Amino acid sequence: MYGHQGKILHVDIGTGKTWLEDIPEEWRRLYVGSRGINAKILWDYCKDPSITWDDPRNIIIFAPGAVTGTTAPASGRTSVTTVGCTTGLYLKSNTGGHWGAELKFAGYDHLVVHGVAKEPVYILIEDDHVEVRDAKKLWGKDIIQTDALLKEWHGEDSRGLYIGPAGERLVRAASIQCSLYHAAGRGGGAAVMGKKKLKAISVRGTKPVRVKDPKKFAEVAQEMRELLRKDSGAQSLHEFGTSGSIGAVNELHAFPGKNWQTGYTENAHPITGQALNELGYLKRRVACFGCTIGCHRYSTIEKGPNAGIASGGPEYETFGALGNGPGIIDTEGVLILNEICNRLGLDTITAGTVTQWAIESYLRGVLTKEDTDGLELDWGKLEEVKKTVEKLALRDGNLGDLLGDGLKIATKKVGKDSYKWAIMNAKGLEQSNVETRSAKAYALAFAVNPRGNDHLMTETFAEFGASPEAIEVIEKVTGDKKWASPHFTEYRAEIVRWHEDCYEITEALGFCVFTSTAAYGVNPDNMARLYAAATGIEMSEEEMMLTGRRVCTIEKAFNVTRGATREHDNLPWRLMNEGAASGPLKGEKNSQEELDGMLDRYYELHGWDKKTSWPTRETLEMLNLKFVADYLEELGKLP
Amino acid sequence: MEKLLLVDMDKCTGCKQCSLACSLTKEDLFDSSRGRIKILKKEDIALGLQLLCEQCESHPCIASCPNGALSRDDKTGIITVDEKLCTSQGACVDACIYHAIRLHPEIKQPMFCDLCGGDPYCVKHCVPGALQWVNESDDTSKMKKKFRSSRMTKYKELKKEVA
Repeated sequence: MYGHQGKILHVDIGTGKTWLEDIPEEWRRLYVGSRGINAKILWDYCKDPSITWDDPRNIIIFAPGAVTGTTAPASGRTSVTTVGCTTGLYLKSNTGGHWGAELKFAGYDHLVVHGVAKEPVYILIEDDHVEVRDAKKLWGKDIIQTDALLKEWHGEDSRGLYIGPAGERLVRAASIQCSLYHAAGRGGGAAVMGKKKLKAISVRGTKPVRVKDPKKFAEVAQEMRELLRKDSGAQSLHEFGTSGSIGAVNELHAFPGKNWQTGYTENAHPITGQALNELGYLKRRVACFGCTIGCHRYSTIEKGPNAGIASGGPEYETFGALGNGPGIIDTEGVLILNEICNRLGLDTITAGTVTQWAIESYLRGVLTKEDTDGLELDWGKLEEVKKTVEKLALRDGNLGDLLGDGLKIATKKVGKDSYKWAIMNAKGLEQSNVETRSAKAYALAFAVNPRGNDHLMTETFAEFGASPEAIEVIEKVTGDKKWASPHFTEYRAEIVRWHEDCYEITEALGFCVFTSTAAYGVNPDNMARLYAAATGIEMSEEEMMLTGRRVCTIEKAFNVTRGATREHDNLPWRLMNEGAASGPLKGEKNSQEELDGMLDRYYELHGWDKKTSWPTRETLEMLNLKFVADYLEELGKLP
Repeated sequence: MEKLLLVDMDKCTGCKQCSLACSLTKEDLFDSSRGRIKILKKEDIALGLQLLCEQCESHPCIASCPNGALSRDDKTGIITVDEKLCTSQGACVDACIYHAIRLHPEIKQPMFCDLCGGDPYCVKHCVPGALQWVNESDDTSKMKKKFRSSRMTKYKELKKEVA
């Protein structure tokens, strides 16, 4: 087969049974690949709302993209899809690294893991050889040790994906680590693996990837590569990493600090990508498979009392959640915290957000010294933050156990209005470090995101109009350049809707979303042409975008089966009720009224019912999703 | 003007675009193990280390072949395999002082970089500039050797660690 390898590999780790399924030709047209086909598979197996994240019937699906394994720039990413543990809703997470490409070279587009093992296991895949193996020797090991053992057993060229001690303990903040320092971090996919007692997946593949029209494919890939080479956003990502933007975000008073009570930090320089370079911590710029940008970092501390600390990152989000958030304005401090998270398998965003909530709760007297196991929490105390993060990863003591359940559960246990400073929305995922009070398309995108409020189901960076390419996107979507400003609420629904589709097809093909929604080398037009050259499946730009909308609609409908309604599409209490602390938008909120206006328009654009937010039969049938409409009707959840 | 290929390990991000591009231009498919350039990837230290035929002066591969299957173009330094004579013993793989030779995964014969006849396809794909096709001069020749020697030092260090 061209583009795809054409195979879905199923593994039941309870029985050890494995089987293959051909990807139906129709799916390649309707859902394209990776995130898209994952959505269809999850729907088919897990639509029944009695299947919760910890149910043995829950599945977890891993999939590189339709063009992963090729020279299409930055196309080596992998989507991970399951019933999420943090929210209990739809979870798609996405990781870089080199594991997904290896799975594709082993001959598979999707790996579907079923069942629960009695004892810890790992899956070994070497081309056609697939085996569920005993993981007793891996259980309890950290990420570095696990990777080293897998490489010792299966060769230096094997690629690993694994959970650490946090995932084993079903910590909601646990992260699925991939190729050591990359992560499908958000939403607790690692806890799903932990519940299944699935420690790791080691892959080695030697089968080529073929495309239908190599000459045409190379031409389109070159076009994308050259656009990205010239793109200022991509250049900055290579030079300074994702954290290169922190200085500018801070200047906008949009860099959340002290649990979102501040937006501006005096001398934030130590926690920027620029500081990593200048102070000599940056050892290497690193790329995911096939990526021409190379935004990832490998940083080390070589001198002083912390010498020997080395890991991937830190990223923007890590400098935010574990640096500015808890007040650790210290390069080495964040490097230390980042290393702990990568080693024990924690999502740095959630780890940082729950830590900040704990600090504020302690300062308010809502958490006692007994609750914190004696830690005197406060802003800017590295030792205390370090201990909190370690406790979280290991569910150690009262504090570790409380935070290990995530804010959705912790705020219920603690009560005392502690939800008011828990930075999560009604779905229950801790928010990533984007100041939605001063960026309105982001606010809407975060509110409607099926997995909770973050920037990783769609990204609307273009609304800032930070480059000519970004302004062009806004003009294309809204008809006028003047809407390229994040302070407007007008046309935000249109901007979000367009980016949802674009983001989805970007991931379906295996591209990094930076290529199409943070830099602008990959776009719906050249993706459609590339997909045609890869597979022979001709689609117009509009048809390609429609596959994105189809997938987003399945993801939405999946949440409807779990009881999601319009009330779940909101933002954290603090952001809806407390004004931004300083800067040009001092006092600005994400008020319910403002959000309602944008939501009405957004549902209208989707053809969803405004009262419930549920997709209508007409909309579903227009998207070839009659089977979804029929099931929702059975559940009484069709408007 | 003569040109030469600069191969800088410090700029390599380990993405493997070069190997994939090579397999595409040589065989119309994507398979980094068919790349005439190989990236030795050491994930724990996030290192990518390029290995490829250097068209070297000493070319011990040629003498190592018991079948005389390898020949060298004196002008370009490019090595060619006589498919009929090669018996896939891999003596050249062991003989290469730059650890550059791999056997093709299917036909099991050694693969050599031929600089695409003077317009290396991989270079176009290397956006970070770890591969550069530059005019030959005293300076660039020196630089090429310096880059190569630091790659080989790193290679030996890694192999020692494994042993």
